Amino acid sequence: MTRYLLGRLSVFIIAVFLLTVFSFSLNYLFPGDPITNMSGIRSFQSSYPLMVELRGGDQNLAIQYLSYLQHLFAGDWGLSLSNGTPVFADGIQHFMASIELILLALLVAVFFGLPLGVFAASRFRQRSDQTVISLAMVGYSIPVFWLAQLMILLFAIKLGWFPITGQINPLYGVEPQTGSILIDVFLSDSEYKAAALQDALNHIVLPVIILAIMPMMLLLRLMRNATQEMLQKPFVKAARARGLNEFRVLVKHAIPNAVQSVLQQTTLIFSLLLTNSIVVESIFNWPGMGNWLIRSIFERDYPTIQAAVLMFAFVILFFNLLVELYHGWRFPIVRHEQYATR
Amino acid sequence: MIKAYANVAVIAAAFLSGCQSDEPEPAPLANGIIYCSEGNPASFNPQLVTSGTTVDATAAQLYDRLIDYDAEQQKFVPALAKRWETLDNGTRYRFHLREGVKFHTTSYFQPSRELTAEDVRFSFNRWLDETSLYHQVGGSYPFFRATGLDQLINKVVKIDKMTVDIVLNNADSSFLANLATDFAVILSAEYAQQLLIEERPGQIDALPIGTGPYRFESYRKDVLIRYSRHPGYWREGPGIEHLVYSITPNANKRMLKLVTGECDIIPYPLVSELQALNRDQLIVTDEVSPNVSFWAFNTEKEPFDDPLVRQALSHAINREAIIQTIYDGNAELAQSILPPTSWAYDDRGIQYQYDPEKAKRLLKEAGHSNLNINIWAMPVQRVYNPNARRMAELMQSDLAQIGVSASIVSYEWNTFRRRLSRGEHDTVLIGWYADNADPDNFFRPLLSCAAVATGGNRANWCHPGFDQLLYSAIATTVPEERKALYQSAQHLLNQQQPLLPIAHSKRFQAQQKNISGVELPPYGGINFRLATKDTAEEESQ
Repeated sequence: MTRYLLGRLSVFIIAVFLLTVFSFSLNYLFPGDPITNMSGIRSFQSSYPLMVELRGGDQNLAIQYLSYLQHLFAGDWGLSLSNGTPVFADGIQHFMASIELILLALLVAVFFGLPLGVFAASRFRQRSDQTVISLAMVGYSIPVFWLAQLMILLFAIKLGWFPITGQINPLYGVEPQTGSILIDVFLSDSEYKAAALQDALNHIVLPVIILAIMPMMLLLRLMRNATQEMLQKPFVKAARARGLNEFRVLVKHAIPNAVQSVLQQTTLIFSLLLTNSIVVESIFNWPGMGNWLIRSIFERDYPTIQAAVLMFAFVILFFNLLVELYHGWRFPIVRHEQYATR
Repeated sequence: MIKAYANVAVIAAAFLSGCQSDEPEPAPLANGIIYCSEGNPASFNPQLVTSGTTVDATAAQLYDRLIDYDAEQQKFVPALAKRWETLDNGTRYRFHLREGVKFHTTSYFQPSRELTAEDVRFSFNRWLDETSLYHQVGGSYPFFRATGLDQLINKVVKIDKMTVDIVLNNADSSFLANLATDFAVILSAEYAQQLLIEERPGQIDALPIGTGPYRFESYRKDVLIRYSRHPGYWREGPGIEHLVYSITPNANKRMLKLVTGECDIIPYPLVSELQALNRDQLIVTDEVSPNVSFWAFNTEKEPFDDPLVRQALSHAINREAIIQTIYDGNAELAQSILPPTSWAYDDRGIQYQYDPEKAKRLLKEAGHSNLNINIWAMPVQRVYNPNARRMAELMQSDLAQIGVSASIVSYEWNTFRRRLSRGEHDTVLIGWYADNADPDNFFRPLLSCAAVATGGNRANWCHPGFDQLLYSAIATTVPEERKALYQSAQHLLNQQQPLLPIAHSKRFQAQQKNISGVELPPYGGINFRLATKDTAEEESQ
């Protein structure tokens, strides 16, 4: 396990190193002054010479890179070129807003996707299986932006149940502290917390459902196939031969084994969520990372573009690492396949 | 089993009904209005800008002016100055300030005194006096430069604690109109002094202090501006506690947010979609705003130096069709360069009818056949002209009917204006949006000989008689005399026809039915001073 752990960690560190090299070189690839692109301080501002000195602007690239790393790890990611606020603090708020959305969507996807998958597998090739699986096919294929338009038309315009922009009605006066709206409502000193919370929940329903649909359908299909595969295995036959009823066969034998192979796809689902969150956030004006990235691109706000790209990539790398470590720890077969160790 | 299903149904119903707003609204929502504005303000001080978005966001909400303009009665009314008098043959104006006007108390500033002459002097010197400490803070003052107010005013003198004199270099009857605009706001001198001591003078335009009906709370770029009611406001204030500007640049999204109730009021709704709105809950208001789109002939070029040719071409254009097609009928046919809301408007002049036969006859009379001209169509949308290129295409076919072939020219907007001021065009489709209520604002910047030099006169039309009329009109302060002079000016314009006025477009606003008191004055930005939200009506629905 130690060897596996170290192996994974070193791959992660190398990837992060390459990532920082890439984001560092972005400062030179973007148009304009590299020091401005890093720090958000323009050359006519009085603090510019100090910035050049601090970031090693008059020294060679290696030293500049080292000082870039220093600033990066110290959380000094420069100032936004569009509104002059510290990029790192902004980024954390947007990150929290995105993660809130993504985790809730993941929860919804798992909560509905896995049971439906098992259900379909247990009715393999029957009418209900075919219905579920064709619905899953439709749900997986429908583009997120189109689905969002349809849902908005039905639930927001025709029925008027849900609002369509932002995290909460601004009149509640809940100012962002962490960025995650449900936490912010609890932290706020509003007299109307209960009403504010309900309003925030109303705002989050549509984006979460729309974001959850695609991974849910993917999970459903993966789970159905994995469970079905398990049900063909000799040990299931043996279990049946021992006289276990079909329910116990599913719950005790097929599902635990099927879940393992599905869980290995979690990284895929997570990156799917992250990509789709950009679209969903733009449609619903959700102040998350996707929205942040798109806006910074429009405004040529180089420090922010860089930060958003860095955060996106880091989140994916980090999540992959976690999933791999979990697999290595939980399922020894993974370690054996790679290193033949215990 | 059936019982279990029934329970699920009850829970589901409870959840869904919870999402709808059957119960009375919680207090923050009942006491607040959300205005979905179309963009970020460039600053919180309207002195620094000319952009309508910034004016809408700041001027009438945060600040007051010395005097206000009442568009209904078409006269100036007291605001921070409770009365004023004209001295020294119209070159000195004396303003007596109102007592007991309180500045905003906020987390970043606690005023120790009420409004005095010092604040007025500071506010004017900010843009007037290049040696004042705050002049360099925040850059330029485009409105005052464009109207020449910084040249007109000689100095601002404090007479006593509550009296201020403004001394002009020469008499100018459009002076008061410029003072009543959204740009001539009064700031707090005490706040400016405090910021100087704290060594961050730039904050004066970012964290504003004024005397207006609302005070500033917070601003997040691209997200919102938060204002709350100014409790010590000197005159009748709003019936709401909070005002939020939710920044929504996308016009489709603004419409959707209005329908879902996330916006109480939106500016610039999509004109083509207005029919689709539910009129039971929403109201659409419109206002003929002081703008005009026109077709200007370059009178320095052959054959447009001949008034007969200009008249002929004017008769050839079917303006009714243009208004239906380009403006979806949401504009008024322009009979004069002045909009009908102006007090100097005169519609007794020659009105240009669509008459191709007459156009042909006039053209023959002028001795032209097979004329080739170009029409410059501006590449951007403006309130006064939503689609100049399409308009040019319509005119192209109109002109073809009288045997004139026209080609359409367009460049990138800045290039377009640069080449235009060099006079490279034959004819151009462009327009004008007035800053203040004075008719002078439609004539001098557009058609005087001086404007030929600055490039504002798109017709390059310099008529000494016409100029004489304009200058006599601003030299007198007697309204009847001025009106008569402007009417002669409009007559002369109609005969000479250096340009063909096309349309005065309307400015639209859509809102929920339970909001009232939100004014869209013809001159200047939206005004929330008397805004109220009627929640009783909503409960009964």
